[in-house]
This record gives sequence, C-alpha cells and structure tokens, in this order.
Amino acid sequence: MNTLVSYGVAGALLLAVSAYSTAGGTDYGAGIWDLLAGRFRHTAEVRALIDHAMAPVWEANNVWLVFSAVICWTGFPLLYESVFLSLYPLFALALLALILRGAFFAFRKVATSSSSRLLASRVFGISSLLAPFSFAAALGAIASGKVGVGGPVVPVWQACLDPLAIGFGVVALTATAFSGASFLVGDARRYRAATDENDEGPDLVEYFRRRAVVAAIALLVVALVVLVLIAAESPTVFHGMAAGLGLPFAITAVLAVLAVAALMWRRVYRWYRVLTVVGVGSFVSAWGFGQVPYVLPGRLTIEQAAGAPAIEALLLVITVVALVLVVPSLLLLYTLDQRSALES
Amino acid sequence: MAFTLAYHIILVPLGVAFPLLTVVMEGIGLRRNDPVALRLARRWSVVMAVQFAVGAVTGTILSFEFGILWPRMMGRFGDVFGIGFGIEGWAFFLEAIFIGIYLYGWKRLPPKVHYRLGWVLPPAGVLGAFGVIIANSWMNTPAGFQLGADGRPVNVDVMGAIFTPALGYEFWHLIVALYMTAGFMVASVYAVGWLRGRRDRYHRLGFTVPFTIGAVLAPVQWVIGDIATRAVFEGQPAKFAAMELTWKTQSHNPEWVGGVMRADGTVVLGLPIPSLDSLLAGFSPSTIVKGLTSFNPSDRPSVVDANFVHLAFDVMVGLGSIAVLLTLWYAVAWIRYRDLPRSKWFFRGAALAGVGSYIGIEAGWITTEVGRQPWIVYNLMRVTDAVNPVNPVYIWIMFGTLLVVYAVIAFFFVSLLLRLSARWRLDDEGRRDAIDLAPEEAAPYGPRPA
Repeated sequence: MNTLVSYGVAGALLLAVSAYSTAGGTDYGAGIWDLLAGRFRHTAEVRALIDHAMAPVWEANNVWLVFSAVICWTGFPLLYESVFLSLYPLFALALLALILRGAFFAFRKVATSSSSRLLASRVFGISSLLAPFSFAAALGAIASGKVGVGGPVVPVWQACLDPLAIGFGVVALTATAFSGASFLVGDARRYRAATDENDEGPDLVEYFRRRAVVAAIALLVVALVVLVLIAAESPTVFHGMAAGLGLPFAITAVLAVLAVAALMWRRVYRWYRVLTVVGVGSFVSAWGFGQVPYVLPGRLTIEQAAGAPAIEALLLVITVVALVLVVPSLLLLYTLDQRSALES
Repeated sequence: MAFTLAYHIILVPLGVAFPLLTVVMEGIGLRRNDPVALRLARRWSVVMAVQFAVGAVTGTILSFEFGILWPRMMGRFGDVFGIGFGIEGWAFFLEAIFIGIYLYGWKRLPPKVHYRLGWVLPPAGVLGAFGVIIANSWMNTPAGFQLGADGRPVNVDVMGAIFTPALGYEFWHLIVALYMTAGFMVASVYAVGWLRGRRDRYHRLGFTVPFTIGAVLAPVQWVIGDIATRAVFEGQPAKFAAMELTWKTQSHNPEWVGGVMRADGTVVLGLPIPSLDSLLAGFSPSTIVKGLTSFNPSDRPSVVDANFVHLAFDVMVGLGSIAVLLTLWYAVAWIRYRDLPRSKWFFRGAALAGVGSYIGIEAGWITTEVGRQPWIVYNLMRVTDAVNPVNPVYIWIMFGTLLVVYAVIAFFFVSLLLRLSARWRLDDEGRRDAIDLAPEEAAPYGPRPA
C-alpha cells in the first residue's frame, strides 16, 4: 500500500515536470525564436507576434515549476536534499534566468527607446535559453548517476557539467524551440485572421511553419545522440528506456514529433498542437519511466526516497482533489486563450 | 533567504487580501449600478495581477532556495515541513488561473458570471496563506511525529503535524494582518489624493471601502496579538525572553519600552514599566518569566538577536496601537457626523497607515524568525546544521546577485504602478485623446489589444 502511494506521488511529480516542460517549454521556445528573430528580416513583426502570444498564460506556466519543487521535497525529502546538494549551481543559474526573463519581458513592453528595447529583448532571449537548459541539465545529471544520496559522487562542478547533463540541456533547447514554433504557427494564424486580410505584412505562418519542421528534425537527431550517451553512461536508465517502461513513451514521442513535422510540411493545420504537447511530454516521461524504480539511478529507489507514509498519502489526496479543481479551470483558461474567446 | 522571504512577504498582503477588496468593490458597483465603483474594481484588478506576477516569480525563487540554502533541513524534515506547501501550491495555482480569467473577463463575460468567478479568489488566497503558516508554525512548535534512530521523523501523525500548537494564533494573526495591510495600503493611495485636493466620489469610494475593512480589523488584531504573545510565552519561552529583554528568570518582570540590552544583561536607554510584563503574561505581577540565562547559551538567541527581536516587537506593537487610535478617530467621526473625519491630520495618518502596516508585518516577521534563533526547527535543528555546506563565499555571491535582481524587480514594479496611476489620472481628467483603452491593456501581463 505504502509502495503504491509512493509510486502515485512519483507519478504526480513526473506529471508536474512534464507539464512544466510542455507548457513552460512553449513559452521558452517563443523566447528563443524571439532571440533568433534579430538575424532575419521582419524582426519587429515576429517580436510583436511573440509578445502577443505570450502574455496571458505567462504566470500559470510558472506554477508547475513550484509544484515540482513542492511535491519533490514533501514526497521525497531525501531526493530533494541530494539533488540540491549536488546540483545547486544549475538551479541558481536557472533561477537567475527565470527572474531576468520575467522582468525583461515586462520591461520590453514599457520600454520607450529602441536601444533599451533591444537590450530587453536580448536579456529576455538569452535567459529563455538558459532557464530550460539548466533545468534539463539537472535532470540529465540525475540520469547520469552523478547525484549520490546526500551529495554528489563527483565534485559539484563535474556533476553539473556531465556530458549527459549537457545532452539533456540541448534536448530541452531543441524541444522548446520545436514546441514554441509549433504553437506560434497557431498564434500567427489567429493573428492573421484577426487582422486585415489584405495586410501586406510578412507571412508569419510560413515563417514559423518552416522553423517548426527544422526544429522537429533537430530534436529527433539530438535525442538520438543523447540516447547513445545514456547507453554509454547509464546502462540502467538505457535499459529502462529501450526495453522497459520508458519504451512506449519513447516511441510515442518520436512518432508524435514526426507527425507534427509531416503536418507542418504539408501545411495541414490540425492536431499539431495536441501532438506537440504529447511529443514533448512523452520525451520527459520516457526518461522518467525509464528510471523506475529508481529516482537516483542505481542509488536510491522511489520507496527508499519516500517521506513519511501518512504525509505521502495526504499529499496524494491533496493532489487528486486539486487536480479535480484545477484541471477544468486550467482548461478553461487555455481554451479561452487559444480560441481568443476573451478577445473582444 | 531571510532577505527573499522578507521581500516576498511584502507582496503577500495584496496577493491574499486585495482580491476581496476588488470583488467587494465590484459587488458595490453592480448592486448600485455605480460606474465609479466598477472603474475602481477594474483598475485594482490590474494592480492585483501585476503584483501577483511578481509574487509568482519571488515565490518560485523561494521554493528553490529552500533546496539551495537549506538542503539538510529539507532532507530531514521535508515531508512533515512540506505538507503545508502542498496545500499552498494548489491554492496558489487556482488563484493564478482565476486571476487570469478575472482580468481578461472584464466586459467579455456577463457581469454576474464575472463577479461570481471573482469570488473564487479570496478563499484561494486565504487557503494559500493557511498552507504557508502550517509550515512556519511547524518550525516554531514542531509536532506530530517522533524522531527515529536516524534523526528522521517516524510515526508521523498528519493532523498533529498540520495543527501544531502555534498554528491557530499564527494563522489568525497573519490573516488579519494581511487584510489590515491591504486595506490601509490601498486606502492610503486615495488618502494622498484626498490631501492633494482630489475629493471626488472616485477618491472617496476608493478610500472608504478599504479603510473600513482595515479599521474594523485593527482592534481585532490587538486582541489576537495579545493572545499570540501569551502563547509564545507558554510555547517558546526563549523567544519570549528575547522579545521582552528578560535576562534573569524572575517574577515582577518589568515591561521594557525601547531599550538595548548589553552583553552583561543590563538594559539601557529604555523605559521599564514595573511588573507589567509579568502581569500581561500571566495576569498577575507574581508570574515568573523565564530569562535568557535560563537557557544554555548555545540554545538561545544571542544578545544581538534579542535586541533585534525586542526592537521589532516594540515597533510592531507600537504601530498596531497607532492603527487602533486611527480607527477610533474614524469611528467617532462616523458616529458624530456620518462622514469622514475632516482633519487633514487624519488623512495624513491614513496616508502613512499603508506603509506603517508593511513595517508592522516585517517587524512581526523578524520577531518570530529571529526570535527562534539559533534554531531553524525549534529545539530540533539548528540553522547551521540545515545550510548547504558549501563555501560561504558562494552564498554571499548569490545573495549579492539576488539583491541586485530584486532591486531591479522593485524598480520595475514601482515605476509600472506609477505609470499606470499617471495614465489613469489623465484618463479621468479627459486629457487623454480619444483613444479608449481598457485599463488592463496598460499592464505588461494584460490581455492583448483586440
């Protein structure tokens, strides 16, 4: 029974991490495209669209991150302690990026001179790269087995700069770029529908469509490279991903990303957003389920890391109750946002 | 950590209590069909959303700082300590979602539906504060478990861990403080406008509704604070000794107003009121109050800590008492003239009440947190055992970075609010050219221009 509850809490934790990767990832991806926009024509239009697309769900996304932390320390105190003692520089970096990103996103809207607006865009874009990279690198360091119980098994810097940590970071960057582009296609289509049909402006749908295809291919290539890295560094996790519980998710992830690329390629604008979410979420789940029964591969199992059983049970109850309350309201917000029902 | 918490707490009163003011104002507007009240509510909702966004960021920082700074504590007590945050997290999420819906829903949802959806916000805020207080009161009076052989809690009793002895008074003390602060803070903005001669219905309404809420609560808070202090006397005697600058255990203990304790335990620069402390703590001058010397030097707050705690405590009580006086003034004026007081001094006081409440909250927080030193979990874990064992230089570098970053956030936050207020004033004076912008569109997180 206790085991079951612990697994339930672990599931909730993975769910929160996946939700953040998809919802927050889309947001970061938009930031990345914002940074890259400076090198192409139509910079201003692209940035205007990104501004337009990001505003409403901005802080709801961040809450998933808070949850991941709370569930982690309440459900698995030992895991939380070990991870932070081993990887605190990564989290500090991610936090810094997170703050700068939020502050400069807001600042850009109110900035009046073009030079300060450019500065704000740069800071916003760079921190949009840094935050997902650092968070994912922490997951990669965990997968690599460099995080031991109660502290790192190698010096902290080495754990943070492990090849697998960097690999996960790069996967995260391509994944956020991919989901960002995919969702921006949708936003661009809505934006175009809302504005004048005879608008002479650049075709932003095409702009992001091409980028979504490129990012999807990049994501698959990088993911393959990282899979090889996992096989070399962390055989337990590789086994779980290639032959264990992680396999169905890995297959789903690849198929979903391929499907989005194909839809985009053929300009079929249906189902691509759902598939994007499924794809990115499945990548995270493939790793998460691949680690079962470990939270720290080879060192600490879900059962060993679990906190007091009574607390675990309560945490699970709270989570279920809250999901019943939160999911419908969140769906309402996202639907209203995506359908623009809240606009005029 | 202390700094970020102190910063975060500034945002809390508005986050928890502002929604109620806004929704009440919307209710007034709908019932009386009053466009002025509706305009106020709509503008408040923008301020609410902006500060909520800042609060979300600082809150995120906090949840990671627990890990970065106090990993050992989280590893040992994360489960019993964290359950409150489990509740808080979801409440916070609900609030985030509904603030989004509320903000974008103005004029886009039917007014009644919008108003009812708004009522989700106040309970969500209170529930969130409840969760955080569960965690804090647990640190002050840890309960609901036994220590196992490895120092980790075993036989956890969930209800015991949530409803610790300190929970009741800490919760009510905080909730009332938050509503008071939000009420006085919002009212103080319009009090300043009033002093500058803007005495229209807009300012009158903007002042009266929040100030009344603050004023009703001020005397209540006086009583709760009194009860809370007595509970600290019972449950956390070392903290109480620090609050009251008590060196030796004795009866007929004087109450020090002001005063600084020297290393040998003598108090200078203060006004002692004989036996009052004993009287307040146990309703009798012969009540014995434990002094700092009755605790092992390594288990009690240092003299520096004690001075800090005492000063903070005095400031909090002093400000609370001033708030009660202001309330009396308001009540007398209302009973005699059925109107706001006419004196400029009243409005000067009211204009300062907002900032005063914030100082009061910070002082209260210092009292409870510094008063617990050197413990992070009272009598169970010292701060030094909880922190990350890295080179302190890194901690200081991080602290410095955070200081800079927070200053930047504060700058944006304040300048944005000033900008909003300036724009709204232009709107009201009709000096703005025919562009009819909805108030939400001025905020960086607001809905898109249609």
